[in-house]
Amino acid sequence: MADETRPEGMDRRRFLTVLGVSGAGAAAVAGCSTDKVEKLVPYLVQSEDQVPGVATWYASTCTECSAGCGLHVKTREGRAIKLEGNPDHPVNRGKLCAQGQSALQALYNPARLAGPMARQDDGSFTPVTWDEAIATLVQKVQGAAGKVAVISGAGRGSFSDLLAAWTSKQGGTLVRYQPFSPDPLRAANQRIFGTAELPQFDIGRARYILSFGADFLDGWISPVEQQRGFAEAHGSATLTMAKHVNFAQRMSLTGMNADEWHQPRPGSEAVVVLAMAQVLLTERSGNPADANALRGALAAYTPERAQQESGVGAEVIRRIAREFASAEPSLALAGGIPAQHRGAIDLCAAVNLLNYIAGNLGQTVRFGADLDSGDGYGALVSLIERFDRGEVQLALVHEANPAYAVPQTSNFAAAFQKVGFRVSTSMYLDETARLCDLVLPNHHALERWDDARPRRGVTGLMQPVMEPVFGTMPTGDLLLKVSQKAGGALAEFSAPSWEAHLKAQWAKVVAGDEGWRAALQHGGVYGATPVMPVRLASTAGAISAAAPAFDGPEGDDTFFFAPSPSLLGDGRFANRPWLLELSDPVTKITWHSWAELHPETAARFDLREGEIVRLESPHGAFEVPVYVYPGIHPEVIAVPLGHGHTSYGEFAKGRGVNALDLLSAKDGQGFLPYQSTRVRLVKTNRWQAVAKTEGTVRQLGRGIADAMTLDQASRGLSPALAAKEHGHEAHEVNTEREVEAIEGWRASQLEQRKHGAYATEQPMWGMVIDLAKCTGCSACVTACYAENNIPFVGEAEVVRGREMTWLRIERYWEGGENGEPLEARFVPMLCQHCDAAPCEPVCPVYAAYHTPDGLNGQVYNRCVGTRYCANNCPYKVRYFNWFAYNKTAFPEPLNLQLNPDVTVRARGIMEKCTFCIQRIRGAQNTARLEDRAVADGEVTPACAQTCPSEAIVFGDMVDPASRVALAGRNHRGYHIFEDLNVRPAVTYLAKVLHRSEA
Amino acid sequence: MRKLLIFGVGTLALAFGAMAARTAAPPDPPGAGDTVSAWVLAASDTANLKGPRQPIFFRHDIHVGVAKTPCQYCHYSAGESSEPGMPSVQSCMGCHLIIGGTDTTHQVEISKLRDAWNNKQPIEWVRVHTLARHARFPHQRHIKAMGPNACQTCHGDIARMPQVFKVNNVNNMGFCITCHVERQVNRDCTACHY
Repeated sequence: MADETRPEGMDRRRFLTVLGVSGAGAAAVAGCSTDKVEKLVPYLVQSEDQVPGVATWYASTCTECSAGCGLHVKTREGRAIKLEGNPDHPVNRGKLCAQGQSALQALYNPARLAGPMARQDDGSFTPVTWDEAIATLVQKVQGAAGKVAVISGAGRGSFSDLLAAWTSKQGGTLVRYQPFSPDPLRAANQRIFGTAELPQFDIGRARYILSFGADFLDGWISPVEQQRGFAEAHGSATLTMAKHVNFAQRMSLTGMNADEWHQPRPGSEAVVVLAMAQVLLTERSGNPADANALRGALAAYTPERAQQESGVGAEVIRRIAREFASAEPSLALAGGIPAQHRGAIDLCAAVNLLNYIAGNLGQTVRFGADLDSGDGYGALVSLIERFDRGEVQLALVHEANPAYAVPQTSNFAAAFQKVGFRVSTSMYLDETARLCDLVLPNHHALERWDDARPRRGVTGLMQPVMEPVFGTMPTGDLLLKVSQKAGGALAEFSAPSWEAHLKAQWAKVVAGDEGWRAALQHGGVYGATPVMPVRLASTAGAISAAAPAFDGPEGDDTFFFAPSPSLLGDGRFANRPWLLELSDPVTKITWHSWAELHPETAARFDLREGEIVRLESPHGAFEVPVYVYPGIHPEVIAVPLGHGHTSYGEFAKGRGVNALDLLSAKDGQGFLPYQSTRVRLVKTNRWQAVAKTEGTVRQLGRGIADAMTLDQASRGLSPALAAKEHGHEAHEVNTEREVEAIEGWRASQLEQRKHGAYATEQPMWGMVIDLAKCTGCSACVTACYAENNIPFVGEAEVVRGREMTWLRIERYWEGGENGEPLEARFVPMLCQHCDAAPCEPVCPVYAAYHTPDGLNGQVYNRCVGTRYCANNCPYKVRYFNWFAYNKTAFPEPLNLQLNPDVTVRARGIMEKCTFCIQRIRGAQNTARLEDRAVADGEVTPACAQTCPSEAIVFGDMVDPASRVALAGRNHRGYHIFEDLNVRPAVTYLAKVLHRSEA
Repeated sequence: MRKLLIFGVGTLALAFGAMAARTAAPPDPPGAGDTVSAWVLAASDTANLKGPRQPIFFRHDIHVGVAKTPCQYCHYSAGESSEPGMPSVQSCMGCHLIIGGTDTTHQVEISKLRDAWNNKQPIEWVRVHTLARHARFPHQRHIKAMGPNACQTCHGDIARMPQVFKVNNVNNMGFCITCHVERQVNRDCTACHY
C-alpha cells in the first residue's frame, strides 16, 4: 500500500490551480516545493457567483431515499465538497443522516460510468457516443409500441410524471418500485381506514411510543424527520418525556433506544397488539363508538393468549396497554422490515386499530399528506411474469436495481433477458445494468435540474451545483431527445430540454420569475400539509392474526432468518467507502457481512465470533462469519441487508453476502415477506477476523456512559448522586498527596495563562453532548469524514485497529444478565480538548499543544510520529496515519470532494478531532472583516451541524450566556474519566431512562 | 457587482486610452525616483530578468507602476477571501479589447492574450508564490489589518517588476513570525496550521 505511486491528491493548492472552465482541462503539478513548476490557470470567464477561497452554497434536495430532505450544498471553486441540511425544509430542518452525507461519494464515485455503454456479444461493455446510443434507442422505441415496460425508483416529482406520460403514450407499463417499500402498511391502511395512503407519524408529539418491528431509527420511511421527532419526544429529560417500548426479535438501533425491549416470538406480534387493543377496549372509557363495536371480535385476544403465543408476559402486556392508554397522545408503529413476515398486514392492521382506539388518528397519525400509493412489490412480480412470457419488447430501468434487490428466486435475471431490448439509466454498471443492452448513465442529482415531492404541500427543487463530473446525460433530456426523434405518439414531448420542461412545470406552481427564483433560493416550495380525517372502514372488523407460514423445516439446528436493514440500505449505498467503513451502530462491524447469533445459540453450537457458518434455506445458502449478539431472540439469526454485490464498483463487488439469497420471492399478498424463512446453521470450522471497532463492551464501572432514571432527572440529581442512590460505588478517589499534586499543577496552569499569547482575552471552545438525545445513528461520523478529509483505511486495517474515525460512536452494554434487561448506551467519543491534556507534555516536538482559545492543537507539520501522545491519551481519540492514505483513500475522482480548508494528512503523522478548527478560523476571519466578535452559534462543527437529534452544542464556554455554557450547567452534566483531572472541554449530559432502575 | 465591474472596466479603459495617446510619442522616460526599468524591453534585456518566464510577458511595472492600477482590481478577492484571485481572460480583455499596445513588443504580447480569448483557452501562468499545503494564509485579514496596498510587504515592489519574482520566501515561517512578533499579533500555531 505504501509503495503505491499515485498522483498527488487534490488539495487546496491544486483546487486553486484548476480554475479553468469550458472543459479546458488544466493540468497542474501539485506540491509545495519551490523546485516544481506549478501552473496557475484562471478562468476564461469568471463566474459571478464564485470567489476563490469562499464557499458558494446552493439549495437542493437529497435523493438518497424517498424522504426528500432539503440540502444546502457547499461548493468551492466549482466542486461540491459538503452537504448540509436545509434549515428551511420542513422534512429535515437542517439535518442529514449518514446516507445523505455520503451522497458526495456517489457523485464522485470512481465506478461511475463516463458515458453511454453498449453491451457486446461476449457480455463486455464498450463506450458509444450519445448520438449512436440515442439513434439505437429511437429505433427500438419505434418498433415497440404497446410492448414497453419501465421499472423506476419510487421518487416522485416532475420526472416521474414525465416518465409516466412517456410510458403510457407508448401503451407501456410503468412500475415504480423500491425495496423496503412499506407495502403491508398500505394494505393494512386500506383494510382498516379504506385508504392505501401512508400517514405522517408525528413522533415528536407522542408521549408514549410503541413500536412493533417498525425500525423508525434504522432508515424507515423518513429517517431524519423521525429521529428529530424521537429526540423531541424522548430526549427532553423532563417529566413530559415519552416512553419508548419496542417489540422486536432483534434489538436494532430503534430497540437500543427503547426504554423497554420485548422479544415476542417471530410472527406473534399481531396477537400482542390485539391483546393490548382488547385491554384498552375493556378498561378504558371514552373510546370511539365504532371501535367499541369491535369488542366482540377482539374478545378472543386476551393477554393470556398473547402470552402463550408470543412469550411476552400477560401482565407486561396489560401494564404497557394501560400506560399507552393513559399517555395522550400516544403512538403505535408497525410496518418495518424487521416484522415483514407473511402476517405483516395483520400486524399493521392491529396497530392501526390500537392507534384508532387510543384516539391517535389526526393527532400523531395523520393521513392526507401522501401523494400516491406507488406500485408495490406485487406489480413488479407480475411484470417479471410478463418478461418471462416474452411480452415485453423494450424495457427501461431507471434508479432501480431489481437484479440485486429482489431475491434470486424471483427469476428476474432470466425473465429480464427475454426482453427484446434492455436499457438502464444507472450511473454505475450495477447488477441490472450488466443485463442491459444499453446503459445510458443519468446525471447525478447534484448535476441536474430536478424536483421531488415527498408529500403534499412540499416540493423540493434540485439545481446543477457544478459541471458534470462525467459525460453523462440527464434522463429527462434523453427521453425528450428520443421522443422527438422517434415522433409518432411521442412527438408531443416537444420541450427543447429537460430543464425547459421542468421550468414549464414550475411556471404552473410559482408566480413568475420572482417566484421561481425564490423557490430556487429556498430549495423548493413548502406549504401546509393537509390532514384528512379517517374513520374505520367496513372491512376493519375482519380481525385476523393467524400465525404466518415460514419456509424451511423446523429442527434443532434451524432458526428464523432475519435479514435486517443496515447502513447500506437496500444495497444502493454499498459502493461508498464512508458507509462501508462506518461501523454498524448495532454491532460495530465494518466492511463485511455477519450473522448475529444469540450467546446461547453460539454456546450450543460451540461457535465464537468470527467463525464462519453456513446458512442454508430452501432457496439458497451462503457462508458468513458469526457475531455473538445478546440482543437477538435465541431462535433467530440476523444478517444485514445491502452487502453481497456481484457488480456495482470495486468497493461493493464481492464484499459480504446478499441476505436476499436465502429468501423466497413468492409474495401472494403484494409485498416481499423478508422474515419468512427458516435457515439451517452448519459449522464450517473456518474462521475470519471480524473488522469491528468495538472495544470492551462493558463499562466496568468506569463511568463512561452515565444514565439516570427519569425520576432522578426530574429531581435534578447529578450523575454521581444518581449512581450513589443505586448503591454504585463512587469513582476512585484521589489520595491526599495526589490532590495536592493536582492542585499545584492546576495553579501552574493558571499561572501560564498569564503569559504571551495566552494572556489576552480569548474564547474557550467547548462542547456539550446530550446522551438523552443521542441515538447512536452515526450521521455525525460521516459528516466528520466529509468535512475533515478523513481517509478510509479498509477492512484489513480496521482489523488491526487502525481506523481513522476522529469521531466514533462507542456502544456499551448494561444488564442482560441475572434477569436484568439488556440496555445499550451510546457515547460519541472525540478529542476532549482537555485543559490539562496528557498528550501535550509527552510530545517531544510540541506538535500537540494547547492553543490560547482552549483547543488541543495538533500541528501536522511538526509531528514526527512518535505516537507518544496516542499512548498517553485516556480517551483513545488520536489516530495515526500508518500509510499514505492521502494517496490511497481518495482515488480519482473522489479527491475532488476534499475540503480545501483542511490539510490532507500524509503518512507518519498523528491526527484527531480539531473541533472543526477550519470553521472556527473561518468565522473569526469573517468577524474580523466585519469588525465584530464571533457570535454564539456562528461556529458549528460538522458533527453538531448534522445531528438529527440536535444532541451536540458547541460554543464559547467563557461567555456565560452562550448556549454551550447554558447546556454545560445542566445537572446531568459530567466529564468522562473526571477523576483523571484532565479537565475535558466536552461535557456529557447523562442519558435518562424512562423506568425505575438505572 | 457586474455593474460595478463594467463601470470599472470602462473607466480603466479610458485611463489606458488616455495614456496610450499620451505615450504615442517616444515613451516618457522613467521619472526621477521611478525606476521602472525601461519602457520597452528588448528580448536580450528580458533574458536577465529574475523570476519565471510567463506565457505572456505581463508587465506589472506598466500595469501597476505606470497605469497605477490598484492590485485588487485584478486580484479581486484578496480583500474578501483567503485567496487573492487571478483575473480571468475576460477581465484582461475588458481593457485590451481597446488597448492594443504602443510598441511592437507590447503588441505581440497583447495579441497572445487576444488569441487566448478568441480560442477560448485559459492562460496557464507559472506560479511564483506557492504556499505550503499545510499552511493557511488568509489574504483578507492581512489586507484588513495593513490596508489595501500592503501587498508589497510580502510580494516586494511589484510596481517595479517587469517580471514578477519571489522577493521573500513565503514558505519560510520565520518570515511570517518576524512580522507577527513585531506587530504583536497572533502567534498561535493553529492560526495558520490546520
